[in-house]
Amino acid sequence: MSILVVLLSLAAGAYALAVIERWAVHGHLSLTGPAWAALALMGRESLLARKSDRLFFELGPVLLLVAGLMAVAVIPLAPELIITDLATGALFLNAALAYVLVALIMAGWGPNGAYAMIAGWRFLGQFIAYAMLIVMPITAVAMRAESLSTVEIVASQAQLWNVLYQPMGFVLFVVAAMGLAWLPPLDLPDATGELAGGVEAEYTGVRLAVLRLARMVIILALAGATVTFYLGGWLGPWLPAWAWSAIKILVVAAAMLSVGRYMPRIREARYLALSWKLGISLALANIFVVGVIALVVPI
Amino acid sequence: MTIAGAQEGAMYGIRRAVAAAMARDLTAFVLPGPSVARSMGIDLANAHLRLVGTPRHANLLIVVGPLPPGLRDAAAVTYAQMPRPRAILALGAGDIAPLPDADVSAPLTRAGLRSGLADLRRVIAAGAFRADTGEFNAPALEVRVEYTCPMHPEIIRDAPGDCPKCGMTLVPRETASDGHGGHGGHDMPREDRPNPADHAHAGHAQDAGGSGAYTCPMHPEVISDAPGKCPKCGMNLAKAEEVESHGHGHGHGHGHASHAPSAHGDHAGQDDKAGGSGAYTCPMHPEVISDAPGKCPKCGMNLVKAEEVESHGPGPGHGHGGHGGHGKQQDHSGHDGHAGHGGHSKAAIDGIEPHFMSMVEMTKDQPRSSDGLQMDWIKVPFGPFFPGLPAGLRLTLTLDGDTVAASDATSLVGATDLMDGPQMRVADFVERLATMMPLSPVSYRALACAAIEVAAGVEPDHDARRARAAAVERERIASHLNWLAEFGLQSGFLWLAARAGALQLAVQGADVAGIATQAGAIRRLSRRVQAAPLMRMRLRRIARIGKDAPASGPVELARGGGSDARTGDPTLKDLGFEMRVRNGGDALARLRQRCDEIAQSLDLIAAAGRIAVPQVPDVDRVSGEGEARIETPRGTASLRVKLANGKVVEADLDTPTDVNIALVETVTAQQELGDALSAVASLDLSPWEVRG
Repeated sequence: MSILVVLLSLAAGAYALAVIERWAVHGHLSLTGPAWAALALMGRESLLARKSDRLFFELGPVLLLVAGLMAVAVIPLAPELIITDLATGALFLNAALAYVLVALIMAGWGPNGAYAMIAGWRFLGQFIAYAMLIVMPITAVAMRAESLSTVEIVASQAQLWNVLYQPMGFVLFVVAAMGLAWLPPLDLPDATGELAGGVEAEYTGVRLAVLRLARMVIILALAGATVTFYLGGWLGPWLPAWAWSAIKILVVAAAMLSVGRYMPRIREARYLALSWKLGISLALANIFVVGVIALVVPI
Repeated sequence: MTIAGAQEGAMYGIRRAVAAAMARDLTAFVLPGPSVARSMGIDLANAHLRLVGTPRHANLLIVVGPLPPGLRDAAAVTYAQMPRPRAILALGAGDIAPLPDADVSAPLTRAGLRSGLADLRRVIAAGAFRADTGEFNAPALEVRVEYTCPMHPEIIRDAPGDCPKCGMTLVPRETASDGHGGHGGHDMPREDRPNPADHAHAGHAQDAGGSGAYTCPMHPEVISDAPGKCPKCGMNLAKAEEVESHGHGHGHGHGHASHAPSAHGDHAGQDDKAGGSGAYTCPMHPEVISDAPGKCPKCGMNLVKAEEVESHGPGPGHGHGGHGGHGKQQDHSGHDGHAGHGGHSKAAIDGIEPHFMSMVEMTKDQPRSSDGLQMDWIKVPFGPFFPGLPAGLRLTLTLDGDTVAASDATSLVGATDLMDGPQMRVADFVERLATMMPLSPVSYRALACAAIEVAAGVEPDHDARRARAAAVERERIASHLNWLAEFGLQSGFLWLAARAGALQLAVQGADVAGIATQAGAIRRLSRRVQAAPLMRMRLRRIARIGKDAPASGPVELARGGGSDARTGDPTLKDLGFEMRVRNGGDALARLRQRCDEIAQSLDLIAAAGRIAVPQVPDVDRVSGEGEARIETPRGTASLRVKLANGKVVEADLDTPTDVNIALVETVTAQQELGDALSAVASLDLSPWEVRG
């Protein structure tokens, strides 16, 4: 039952994000736009690039979708509303999202096009830049909750949300999440003005629809993770638990989707330098600070 | 009623709904580009369609204005890359062959765009699907098969046969009849995608070794007369012959990347002549030679018979590596890198996995990057319709990883003659020059008028001069806003792209009062752009040019100094013009310089009080010669004209893009791909201005 509810809300969320993304990219807000676009994509020729690596080309978008769905499985929308409350939920989320990299490299390599291939390699090059900054803040969150279960993590924030308890971790996690979901200004693997769509450049028709859907699911999963780890998940007064989750997740996702509209894309080299040198040091410092606080003032 | 590029299928049931959705959800790719469309006053941002950056995601091709002949083949390639159903909307485009006839044609006006799109939606809703669809063919899409020798790449024949040099059977290779397409690397739907067999290098190992000398197995360019260590990597030098015969095999494998896999059998045979004395050697370390079988002292691999190594040179080790790697990465013309494996795997060598790939062998003969690493080089075409690069510019980047190893910028627009006959009426000449430059028509109109006035010895009155100067300044604002919009598109700063584009359209034809109402918004935009997060990081120290490189316009002034054609103009001095310069010479300084110029032009227009597009001077059967210079938005342009009996008989034009396009190579060298593209964009080139 809860699986069905989660999946339905996922579909609704993905649609809402498509509406927001359309606004962020094309500047017009249209509630029916994504529905028409999806229907139109169904009828379009679904091209297979010549000399493509068929297996990688076909599997890339599907694997991306699977990775996103697996990550969603451990996001609690309410205490009982979760597909599976794994004891190692936070770790599982990270493991599921590791396949985003694999999927993107496959999607980049598959079509045998230069733009897509460079885009795929670019994402590979950024791997440490975002992956460390996903894992290390999660470590600090788990330290406070004394559990890797996502439900426990939300419950641990009853007194004080983690966004206030460990703000540095929050900032690092959100930035890394945007890098992982290749959202502007960290959208190096699809970079419209540099790679003409990058990994998406060779996909058309139904395959493109799957790729777009998969990306929305990834963004939702990451927004869900942000809310779970830092914004108190379903916690909140007056409204029912699921409503708080939905509101928070949509607000976080909308912010992640639209912030890139107001700044240029980061340079690849700067992104790597900042993530490695500054990001990882700060993440270590965060673990240390959270450790000290957890020992001294247990809340 | 169907569209030419309809998708195959009968129009029934669910397809009607899908076709209706397609008509509603138009995704458009614009030719020559959104910046040209805006310069012509076409507002695509508010046309209820989505502009996309690749033809793969578009179902509508909008051709804005007459398409220069040089861009038409690339346009056909772009069209072929669009998935069906695909439609063409031509706005005042005239002849667009080899593109198919436009599904809807409309005049080049805002009303034309509106009605054209409305018609198009009807056509798509009614005819997106059709039972019988034809293939789209154009000469630019044809793939020619040519035959070449695997050993001697310089031998190219139209028919199969033997190589005149070595007698080997020539192998077929696909090549495009036209060397370049719109978006290179994109494969075409159904039709085979033409693509030049772009080889960044044709390294043949046999060139590397000197006779009898010692050389490094890793660095073939290191040659020494005596044994010793390699100065680059410290490895022991090996006898050149050894390296050579070994490298030979690799040379083949490498060369094969561009050839059909069938040729490999021939090779193994060829190389037998290189067979050694029957000693044992390490497949990885040719310098290890032993009389008896055993293990390599360096890497512990089983030694193999020397003959085997040599005769199977292009075999499992190299050949496979060469193919798997090269066929895919380096050669994007789409040779099937995998087909070659089967034949090779049979020739297994003891102690080596059949699919063992040696990076050392694979990359040995390739050119080195600046950091000393050897990587696959790919040649990637950008443009002439690349989002974020000037429309009409074909930029070919040779990428070493994601670093630019070499670049080539060419205008595909092609220079048209200034004169359409031996003599031209003055008014026709002015009109011709203005329409030749769609990105800055007013400046070139003013330039033509000024040159003719000098030649004829007529002086326009004070007011006319001020109004004309104001018109050029207005165009400067619009042009710089257009550049900002393009830069926003390229760098993903989409708010900037939308805002600057809208302001450009608002300013373009406005009068003094109209500009005054926009002035506040324009100044705010300019402040906000410079203060945007990540902006400094994005542009600082990118595309730096030295003080001595020739440059023009904002590119020159932004590196401190240079000249502005406006300084000597008494009219502009009167309006309060002062030359603005900036120190820096990087892309950030250029952005700020353009923002400064926008602010200054706003002041100049306010001071002039009136804007009037220059009127063709009245010259009555005068003869004479004259030259005029004007500061166009991109830099100083100068025009010399000769009049005879009131007709233009000779004209000669120098443009700023002619100067600035030469900087492309400098500013992209050794830059990361994204930086290189920002660098090219920062020069604000107009391919229409390229004459040389």
